[in-house]
Amino acid sequence: MQIKPIITYSGSCPLFRSLESQILNAIPLDTCEWRRTFQRPTKHVRLEAQTQQFNVAALEKYKQGDWSILEHPILHIFVTECNDVDTYKGTIREEIDTWLKILTSYGISDWMILLVETLDMRKTKNFMPRTTVLDKIRLDFGSKNDDRCISVLNPAKFEQKSTESFRCLVQRIRFLMLTSYNRNIVKYEELIRSKREKRNVDGWDFRQYFFMQEDLALIFEKLELPTEALIQYDELDAMFSQFITHTGLNEKQQWLSHFRRPLDAFHGICLTRPDRFEMRNKIRDEGVSLLEFRNYLFERQAYLLLTCNDIPEIAKRLLNFLFSTLREVEFIKLECQEGALWCWEFVCALEVLQLCEQAMEPNEVTCFQHCAPIWNLAKDKLYELGKLCGLLPGCTPTSEQLHIVVQLSSGIGDAPPEQHQFLQATPQLRERSPNRKPKKSAAEQLKEALGSNQAFQKLYLELAELAISTYKHVARLRSARLVGLDLGNFYCALNEPHKAVGFFTDLLRELKAENWHTLSSQTLLELANCYRKMGDSLAYTKTCSSISCCAELETLVRTFYFDEFLKSLKTLKTTLSAQPSIENANYCVLEDHFRVLDIEVVNQKPIIQDDYILVQMKVESLYPRGIVAENIKLCYELQAAPLELAMENVSLNVSPSAVKVKESTSRLKVSLQLVYKQDNRLHSAAVACDMPKSKQPVRRTSSTKRKLSPSVQADFTNFVQAENIALQPGVNLVELKAKATRVGSWQFKQLCVSMSSLEFLSEQLPFTPPSFEISTKPASASLEFKTLIAGIVQPINLNVSGGSFIFPPDAKITLRCSKNLRIRQARNTTDEAAYNDDTSFESLLQVPLVQFKSFEERKIPLEVLTDMPGRKVSKHHEHHIALSCPWSRTELPIPVDFQPAMEATCRLHTCGTQKFLQVIMKGLDAHLLLQHAQVKCDVPGVQLLDLNPEPHQPIEIYKSLTVTFLYEIQVEPLKTEHELPVVKVHFVIKYAPLSQPAVWRTYGCAFDLVDYTTLFKLQAQLEPNELCRLRTVCNMNLKITKVHENPYTDLMYEVLNDQNLWAVCGRSAGVVSMKDVDSHSISLDVMPLSTGFLPMPSIRLSKYTAGGKSKTDAHSKVHPFPPGQVYNSTKSMQIHVIASVAGDQ
Amino acid sequence: MAFCIAVIGKDNAPLYLTTSDMEQELDLQYHVHAALDVVEEKCLIGKGAPESKELYLGLLYSTENHKIYGFVTNTRVKFIVVIDSSNVALRENEVRAIFRNLHLLYTDAICNPFYIPGESLTSKKFDRAVQKLMSGNA
Repeated sequence: MQIKPIITYSGSCPLFRSLESQILNAIPLDTCEWRRTFQRPTKHVRLEAQTQQFNVAALEKYKQGDWSILEHPILHIFVTECNDVDTYKGTIREEIDTWLKILTSYGISDWMILLVETLDMRKTKNFMPRTTVLDKIRLDFGSKNDDRCISVLNPAKFEQKSTESFRCLVQRIRFLMLTSYNRNIVKYEELIRSKREKRNVDGWDFRQYFFMQEDLALIFEKLELPTEALIQYDELDAMFSQFITHTGLNEKQQWLSHFRRPLDAFHGICLTRPDRFEMRNKIRDEGVSLLEFRNYLFERQAYLLLTCNDIPEIAKRLLNFLFSTLREVEFIKLECQEGALWCWEFVCALEVLQLCEQAMEPNEVTCFQHCAPIWNLAKDKLYELGKLCGLLPGCTPTSEQLHIVVQLSSGIGDAPPEQHQFLQATPQLRERSPNRKPKKSAAEQLKEALGSNQAFQKLYLELAELAISTYKHVARLRSARLVGLDLGNFYCALNEPHKAVGFFTDLLRELKAENWHTLSSQTLLELANCYRKMGDSLAYTKTCSSISCCAELETLVRTFYFDEFLKSLKTLKTTLSAQPSIENANYCVLEDHFRVLDIEVVNQKPIIQDDYILVQMKVESLYPRGIVAENIKLCYELQAAPLELAMENVSLNVSPSAVKVKESTSRLKVSLQLVYKQDNRLHSAAVACDMPKSKQPVRRTSSTKRKLSPSVQADFTNFVQAENIALQPGVNLVELKAKATRVGSWQFKQLCVSMSSLEFLSEQLPFTPPSFEISTKPASASLEFKTLIAGIVQPINLNVSGGSFIFPPDAKITLRCSKNLRIRQARNTTDEAAYNDDTSFESLLQVPLVQFKSFEERKIPLEVLTDMPGRKVSKHHEHHIALSCPWSRTELPIPVDFQPAMEATCRLHTCGTQKFLQVIMKGLDAHLLLQHAQVKCDVPGVQLLDLNPEPHQPIEIYKSLTVTFLYEIQVEPLKTEHELPVVKVHFVIKYAPLSQPAVWRTYGCAFDLVDYTTLFKLQAQLEPNELCRLRTVCNMNLKITKVHENPYTDLMYEVLNDQNLWAVCGRSAGVVSMKDVDSHSISLDVMPLSTGFLPMPSIRLSKYTAGGKSKTDAHSKVHPFPPGQVYNSTKSMQIHVIASVAGDQ
Repeated sequence: MAFCIAVIGKDNAPLYLTTSDMEQELDLQYHVHAALDVVEEKCLIGKGAPESKELYLGLLYSTENHKIYGFVTNTRVKFIVVIDSSNVALRENEVRAIFRNLHLLYTDAICNPFYIPGESLTSKKFDRAVQKLMSGNA
């Protein structure tokens, strides 16, 4: 079918005919810019044209509005070669005028006047301007359309010179044609619209309308606008569908009956048709079936899409085309043979697939995305055909079915002879590799497949594999698995279950990973079927077990498979290897049969080595009935130390607060937000979490996706187990037990349930399993005591903690005390005699550990006693006890400190020449009784006189209480001090603790008495003696008397008075020499400064060594006397001072 | 109106699935499962501009008898609706309306504080409302 725009000519027809071929050939040589209306983009278009002689009759249709843009002349040319103005005025002008009037009367303005010049105008240059024929024509007709009048040198006569003018002519023709199209397309579109409006009017015929709009589409196609052409077809497509589906049964649409012819033939689409418009003519001339019409429409659309290089779109549209056509066939109730439409679908699908296959780049996913479902569709249709014709595996076609095959085969039709005309339009189609056989046409393939069972099977398998691989290629795995299900079933029917297993397990894995339980349990049933057929009792057992645990299945099915499982389990001879394979990872996992709900370590923490670990596990059995698990093991592994803890151990300087900070950062910073209204009332309150956007504060953890890797057996060297446990359906409580052998921190890892030879391993425990600690404990011994007091019996505890040490029967602990410390095992206070027996204290004690078991903790009470030392100072008495224990070779010294129970001090007092010794006992922590105080002095000539009253009962002493004893020292006069510089005095007293009044222990203390002889006596006297008046100078007489011969000659006296009480007038100190004199009197002036009884100013006497006598001793030195050598007889005298009379006035 | 309505969790596990025809249920479940492929594909394309993300995914794929439409919420919960493809009177807007209503129903159902996200929807109220939606009376 030729589609070329029509150009008419009139006037000098023979002249035009002579130019015709030259013009027509020249038009397609170049493109022309097409400026389109309504701001559509400009386009460069290559045009073709055909010519006709001007014929008024053709325009009649145009005027009536019954024209086709395809047949409508697009340009009218009037040709003349008149070059004489007079001739022009005479005849030609009339002719042109008439011609134009006709055109105008038909509303046509696409014309052109062509003046062919045969005379060389340049030779006759004397012509006046604007007097040529062309000028005249332009003047007459081209007032507005100057460009529509054009002259050309006759190329036949001026070959050389005419080229330029001829080129202009052709360009002008092209331009005018396109201008004409602009106008005519708009007009034609209006016509189409008006026609469409009338679609519900009686007598409207879709076919007429179809051709009308298709003509426009063809023109668009011609003008290289395939997308706009496609729009026309799409509109027609939609309109047709609408007619059928919405008003299909309406009586008005009489034209529909034309399409309602029986489907004797059901040829599929053919994208390689040699004559693309074959069907168009058939539609016009004979009428076609709905199927054929639809085929034609799709073929046209496909062709245009191919021109646009949009092959994926063809594939995309195919399914919709097929389905909507099927729906239309159903709507208008077309009769057809069973299976006919499947054949049609199949052929169409394969035709498109073949096109795609040729055109596609392998990495072009979009096309494959659309192809995959088409492969699947083709596979499904083939299957249904196979079912219809008895071609499925295990069937043989009956004679009736053979008849169907024959009928269908004839209806499929023959493919048109292979021609590449259609494909040539698309340069991007890949060349077939030469060694690859050209594929058979879709129709041929189908016929062949319907011909025999083998061919059918081969094609079906091929299609299924292609569908799967294409789905996989575009990453639609679920769809691929679904096709795999069909394929698996087909293999089962072929009695090749081993091939089917792979597809089923793939599907099962996919479904299980996403928790599609209903579907996965169905797949399990298929698998069980396969395995039974294959005789794989191992896999069959496992599958049966899984099926019986599917809650989605009916109880009857489950119990059946449960029985099968038990039956099959008994027959299994070989021990199942615990090594799980990828294949059975799907269905032989513990999680599908049992659900671990809780694991709890019952033992107290920590578990001591060699103890039993007791674990309580709550497990839910999903079996429909009770089952005995021969062995349930739960293994545990060493827990990896948390990183943070390890870090802390390394760097000790990490302060605990730093750890706290770390903890707090993991918390959300939630703050309160209060929003107030304008009147300060609360509008709303909220808590908000301020977080930088980059930090995701909350992460969703509700993932339900299952990881389906084969569960690897964990290290089962350490496990707790239980044997022969009956597990009832539902929740069971199982106690697992094992001996704790290795020390460490452990965590449960994996559960293993075995039933005869079947072993289930858990993937991963569903929660963080509890961890527990197995530890050993070293034995230890320690002493426990409070503040210890020396001198009385003190309790002390020996704490022995056995740890994991195993004690021999004769084990004992030896305690060795330091000097003066004694120890014994505690005795009962009620048994006084034994308790009070101080001799039982020893410095070495052996404590037997009778029947001491590991981990025992024992407290052994002991008692210690230490002597109270006779020193006056109240210092702690340091002792230690060394322990030697059976588990250790080294002695363990433990320091023990004692505080004295009391302390004694003594003072020497003088009264003239008499000397007294005062012993002061100060009570400390203990509460004691005292009696039998004694002093002893072994020095001859020294006697101590006891001045204390005879006590009737013991004296009590306790903290902060002092007891004083007084003795007079009498030294025989003969014994001078020179002979006895030191007199040793022993003070002994008996004491008993209040709690133990029967036991009197002796406390002794030695005092050294020195300077016990009075050497000088001091006497001071104030005059007047009776009445001293304030601020009146008194005379103070000072008398120093030597009492005892001594070597000190130079003495210094000082008056040490209170500045507020006395004032010394004159010197307050002086040096006197006692050489050769026994006494010395000194007189001083003193003045009382205060009234009342004032103490006598005190006087200090010191030894004086004058300086300057030797070189080393340049300065004078003063040494005070010790208190025992000087006796001040007026020391505590008081002077009554009265206020001065005179002074007051 | 609809053959099947399914709510599928973010990990592609079915949370709720109902069909109008028990006999077809298995077949429909397979189809719904396969539709997840297309949902994933479409979500992948729309990943670039989360702001302008359209929850309605449109027609996922069609078979001779069914048209399968998809919808995905912001939390990646998917709604799949299977519609009778012979019902040509059904407009796309009506499908959108089904999804909109379903989304509301779903939101109401999971607002129940006792509902644990990721578990299947067992609310009777939700079921009743979805059944109504499926029969076109919602």
